[in-house]
Parts: sequence; C-alpha cells; structure tokens
Amino acid sequence: MRIFVTSLGIISPIGENASQTLAALETSACGLAPLSLFASSVDPPLPSGEIRSHLPGDVPRTHSLALIAAREAMAGIVAPPDAIVLGVTTGGMPASELLLKNNDPDPEKFRYHGTGTVAHYLADALGCHGPVLTVSTACSSGMVALKIAVELLKSGKARRVLAGGADGLCRLTYYGFNSLQLVDPAGARPFDKDRRGMSVGEGAAMLVLEATAYPPAGALAEVLAVGLTCDAYHPAAPHPDGAGAEHAMRKALAGAGCAAADIDYINLHGTGTPDNDRAEARALQALFSTLPLPAASSVKGALGHTLGAAGAINAAVSVLCIVHGLLPANTGCRVPDPGLQLLPLSSPRREPVSTVLSNAFGFGGNNASILLGKPAATAAPVQIKNRSTAFAVLGSSCLTGAGDCAQTLAALRDGAGISGMAPAKAIMAGLNESAVRRLKRLPRMALSLAIAAHSNSGSAETPDSVFFGTGWGGLSETHDFLSRLFSTEERFTSPTDFIGSVHNAPAGQVAMHFQAKGANITLTDGDYAFEQALFSAGLIAHETPGTVMVIAADEYHEKLTPLFDASAAGAPTFSDGGCGLLLQPTDAAMGLRIAPLFLSNDPDSDLTMHSLMLALGGAEAIGKKYGAVFAGIPAASRDKGRQQLALFIKAAGCDCPVIDYRKVTGEFASASAVAAALAVDCVRRGELPAGLNQAVPASLHSRGILLLGLGRCITAVEISG
Amino acid sequence: MDKLINELKVKIIDTLNLTSVEPAGIDAEALLVGGELGLDSIDVLELVMMIEKDYGLRIDNKELGIRVFASLKALAEYIHQNRPETQP
Repeated sequence: MRIFVTSLGIISPIGENASQTLAALETSACGLAPLSLFASSVDPPLPSGEIRSHLPGDVPRTHSLALIAAREAMAGIVAPPDAIVLGVTTGGMPASELLLKNNDPDPEKFRYHGTGTVAHYLADALGCHGPVLTVSTACSSGMVALKIAVELLKSGKARRVLAGGADGLCRLTYYGFNSLQLVDPAGARPFDKDRRGMSVGEGAAMLVLEATAYPPAGALAEVLAVGLTCDAYHPAAPHPDGAGAEHAMRKALAGAGCAAADIDYINLHGTGTPDNDRAEARALQALFSTLPLPAASSVKGALGHTLGAAGAINAAVSVLCIVHGLLPANTGCRVPDPGLQLLPLSSPRREPVSTVLSNAFGFGGNNASILLGKPAATAAPVQIKNRSTAFAVLGSSCLTGAGDCAQTLAALRDGAGISGMAPAKAIMAGLNESAVRRLKRLPRMALSLAIAAHSNSGSAETPDSVFFGTGWGGLSETHDFLSRLFSTEERFTSPTDFIGSVHNAPAGQVAMHFQAKGANITLTDGDYAFEQALFSAGLIAHETPGTVMVIAADEYHEKLTPLFDASAAGAPTFSDGGCGLLLQPTDAAMGLRIAPLFLSNDPDSDLTMHSLMLALGGAEAIGKKYGAVFAGIPAASRDKGRQQLALFIKAAGCDCPVIDYRKVTGEFASASAVAAALAVDCVRRGELPAGLNQAVPASLHSRGILLLGLGRCITAVEISG
Repeated sequence: MDKLINELKVKIIDTLNLTSVEPAGIDAEALLVGGELGLDSIDVLELVMMIEKDYGLRIDNKELGIRVFASLKALAEYIHQNRPETQP
C-alpha cells in the first residue's frame, strides 16, 4: 500500500486556487504588500502576505481560508473524507483578539476561538464523521498534519484523509513576530545577504491523501515519507547548525529508502530570518556533504510566511512542481548570502521533477520534512501492519486541585474533593524557580507533569518523543500579550509572551528538559485534546525505539477561561490540571497498559455507537475487560453526553460502576487526562477509591477501566493491567 | 548616572522576573547577556521593548544591541546620551 496525493486546494496571497497559484509561480508574482487588514501601529505598515479578496465575516479568517482550500481539494469527490487532520496556530484569534480588545463579554461570540474549531468547521461542511485532529506545532503544523494523515492511512483506520494547514493574519502574529525583530521592513528576501526577517502571511492548503496499492487515476504525487524531529535547543530560535532540520530530512529520506542524490528539487522553509536561513543552509550542507545541491527555492518571498499553513502550502506547491514540471523562483532574493553556500533559483525553471523534498520548521524546535515523488516513480510499497497502538505505562503523574498524584489519591481515599486549581506549590515541586522564570502557568504544569511522570517511572532513559494535548493552550501568555498590546495602543508587547502563546511552547520546554529529539507534536481541541495526543502517539511513537512522553494540561484563567470554555464557565469551582504519562509502545498483552481505541467526530449517529462497540470488541468483551467506566461528560454538553452514556450502557450491558468523573475533577478541558492518570492508579491497585465511587471503595475484580469521552466527540481509551 | 543604573536594575529584575536576584547583586560592569544573570536573546528583546516604552529609545538592529547590552553600565550610558529631552 502506498500513499498518494489525489487532489489539492490552496489559497495564498499569490492565488486563490491551484491554477492561480501555478500562474503566479510561473511569473514569479509577489503577493507581499503593506498590511491593510487592520490599522498598524508600525509606520509604515510592514509588508505582509495578506489575502485581499473579501472573506465572509461570519467565521474567523482562518476558518474561511481553510474551507476555501478544503472545498477546492474535495471538488468532484462525492464521499466525505474518512478523517481530517489540520495544522493551525491562530485558529479563531483573528476574530477573538478584536473581541478581547473591545472587552466583549459574550462567550457565544468566542465559539470559533478554539484552534480545534477550524477542523470541526470543515468536518461539518464536508460531512466528515471520522477522526478530526488538530495539530498546533507553530510553523511546522501544516506538515506535521500531513504526517499524522499518512500514519492514519498506513494504520488502516482511514482510506482517504483531508489534511493540511490554515492560518489567518492577525494582530497577535503581526506584532508578535515584529516584537522578536523577525520581520523584514523591506519584505521577506529569503537567503539574501541583506535579509532581515520574514513577512507574516496567511493562507491555507489542503491535500487529499489516499492509501492504495497502485497509483489511482489522476494521482498527483506520492507521499514517500515524512520525517519529524525536535531541536530540543531553544523555544524560538533554530539550532545554529540546523542539526534537527538535517535529522528531519534524513528521516524522510530513510523512511522512503531514498538517498540525498535522488532529490531533484528542494522546496525550502526559507522564511527570510537570518537564523532560519543559515540553519537550513547548514543542514543542507551537512546532508549533501560533497554532493552538489539540487535546485532549491523558498516561496516565502512571494507569499509570506503563512505559519500554520506554511508546511501544507509548501507540500502543495511541491505537488504542483511535480505535476507541471515547474521549479519556482526564490522571489525576493537579489544577492544570495555568500556565507550560506546556497544559490536559490533566481527565476522559475521548467524541467521534469520526480522527487521533491520540502521543509517546514517552527517554534519549539519543531522540524518536518516531506519527500514527495511522481506517482510513476518506483518506491518501496508500504506494508500495512496491524500494529497495536497500546503502550506500557512506565510512569504517571497528575496535577489537580488537591495537588500532585499522591495528594490527589490521598484525597480520593479520604473521600475529599480534588476539584479546584492546581496549587502553585505542587506545580513547582520538581521545578527550579530561576529556570522557569519566563514560563507561566501552563508550561510550568506541563514541565512539572513530565518530570514527575519520568521520575516515578524509575527509568533512567529519557523520552525520545513528546505528545502534548491542550484544550486552550497558554492562556496567561495569550492574555498578557494582548492586554499589553491593547493597553499601549498596539505599540508595545512582550516577546516572551508571544513565544509562550504558541500552543506547542510547553512541549518545547519538555523536549529541552529531556533533550527529546524525536517527534514533538501538540494537539489541541477543547475537551478532546488528551485523547487526540494519545491517539497520535499511537500512530507515530513506534517509529523510534525510545519511550514517549504524553502530557495533557490546561490552565484556568480568570478572564479567558469563562469566555472560551463553556463547560468551565458554569462550574461551581474553577479547576485545572493535567497528567503526564511515560509510555513505551508494546505488543504485549500484559502489564499496566493504556491504549487509544476510538475517536469519532459524529456523536449523534447510531453508527458511531455501533462502531464504538466494535472497537471495544462487543458487549461480552466489554463486560470481561472493564471493571469500571470513567465517563467524561463536559457540562456544556451534559444532556447529550448523558444520553450517549445511557445508550452505551444499554448496548454494552454494563453493570460495573460508571464514574461521572468531571463531578470529581472539576470542569476543564484536560479533565480526561487526570481521569486517565487516576485510572492508571486504580488499575494498578485493583480498586476504586471511595472518593470516586460514591464514598465506597470498590474492587475492579482484576479488570481494567474504560475511559469514555462523550459530548461533541466520542472517544474511548482503555487502561488495563 | 548612578540613579539611572539603580533604576535600571529594578526594571530589569521586574521585566525579566528575576525573582532570586537583588538589585545590589547586579554588577553594572559585568556581562549583561550570557553572564551570571543567565540572560539570553529573548531577554534582550524584552529589555528592548522596556527601553523603548520607558525611555523612548528604539534599538532595532543587532550591532547596536550588542554594544548597548554589553553591560548595565553601557546600557545606562546609551540611555543617558540618547534619551529625548522630553523624557522625565
């Protein structure tokens, strides 16, 4: 089985569909112009990659752009995609920041704020009922989304996936990158000797990926492999030698069974910042060594840096290169930097291209490289392997209103509550105050959870990959960045808060702490981010022999949480927390294990309940396997969730205790992660503590626990002993 | 100048959340970035923002930044020599 790109859609400042994009690349059109979308306090306004045509105003720009690209990609395809994987960094921020600026108190107006809402908006529009995943790994998001899509296809869980990235221009990114002095006042000129930075842009690209044995009719390109790494070096700057970037490219080549000499063209990340372009050039020198570099160019001097969309746009452009035999120019670069030993294409070139390597790198040291080939090119067929997605649990940790794991369990045994905000003392227990001076609440929680999970595993080995789930990301950083910006007439803000505001910043901190240089993926989607992180880990973590750290956490923020999280808004106590799990992929059917089993975006269909029962092995198996069900019903969808639970109990003939755990943990997006950590402990001890089971301890009778996520999505995670 | 140096010490501690550092513990002659305080490029950008906001001076290129942030004394001298007359 092989993975093919069978269709694509793209919108960027140089074109609003694939044919316009191609025409613009043929003529080296430049889409950069002084920002006009909103009044700029920087005078003159910075050159930006803005899409000038009118976008419908009923949803944020990111949503509109994503749907335009998705509709183009899906044109002529009747059946909806089996799954959607989307890379996004700003989500609803283009609309939310204005509401926040105007102190709008209406939570209803923030319903499209969450990064995960973009993918769900697409799923609703296209009728997709399968897994809907949202990746937020800063500027590599769009390419990391393609990686997850590829693995989803290889696992056999989907046959056609719509995947890509989208981001709309907003004040947060425009002023944020400028505060880092990473924006070139003359417009991006990647690899030029006088380059001074990027131009912030917007856009979207969506690719339809299909798994088949032979190229389907009309296949545009074959995805040969995607390599992911993390620098584990700095929160915002790349490794100076491009070590992580080089490793990502090597992983892509190795995954495809290709050598550097097989590459015909390199579609560079090339943002135009001095550091990025130098690191990327050095990585290429290391990769190619004595071989001559193939033709290479970055399109960011033409369309700007489209952030979460950039990796998908690069992949889409690379597919167009393969289909049309066109190598685009490195627009903006006049005099190549002699120090880089990289001469990007100064004008477009027409020639047949068989194999293209394309890069996307981002904050947090996230690196992604995709290798794409002509469908006719020979490549080793991918064997579908019915691999277990289960993990052995080596260590676990949690933070709740009661404190750390031990304090939480003690409270539950005593029948005391564990809701509330995680106490600062518990968060700081394993942390050094001066080492975390720049980190606010969420990254501190994530780091604390990871360190505790690793330390109580007793393992000397540190994790290779990191998967982080967060419903809402760093709210303190986001709030502080915007409030300072708005209180100074958009003249001043905090670069530190900008770096901290990206959803994957906490995972980057964890990677730096452990020197975890494998895949580093952050998934974000309200109440289901933990499940998405675990699900994605199940698809990818087996690639490397090391252990994997899965963390999920959310912070309560007094201003933003009530606006964004409808379940938390009405809760009697303000709660937050999360969990850390040090895991090892396993095929063994024994020992303490956790396995993501089910993820559906179609909560209302009878078919979903049927699929869930199938995924769990049917009613009889459910009765044998599970001694308790932990049900996660977010308050905002309580009625729907209770109906779903009743249906499940009836279908499964469940007579074991069913724990409505949000009543215990409190309402917050990562409550399911806390429930997972508690389930791990309960299975290890073989019983439920009094505080979880209506004040009476209960035996699990040597069975495991089923963690059900209900409401807007339906998810199932199994914890077994 | 001493007054400005002392003022900057407090502002730096506050801006960069250096909770374990006392103003008296900052040596005005010592290396400001990459020295004992553990400051790096992100901290410098944070200080750039503070200096523009509080003293009306923009430091927007690397060469100038390296010179200005060499030490606290160099920073104070730069501000003293260049701050607009209108600043208090």
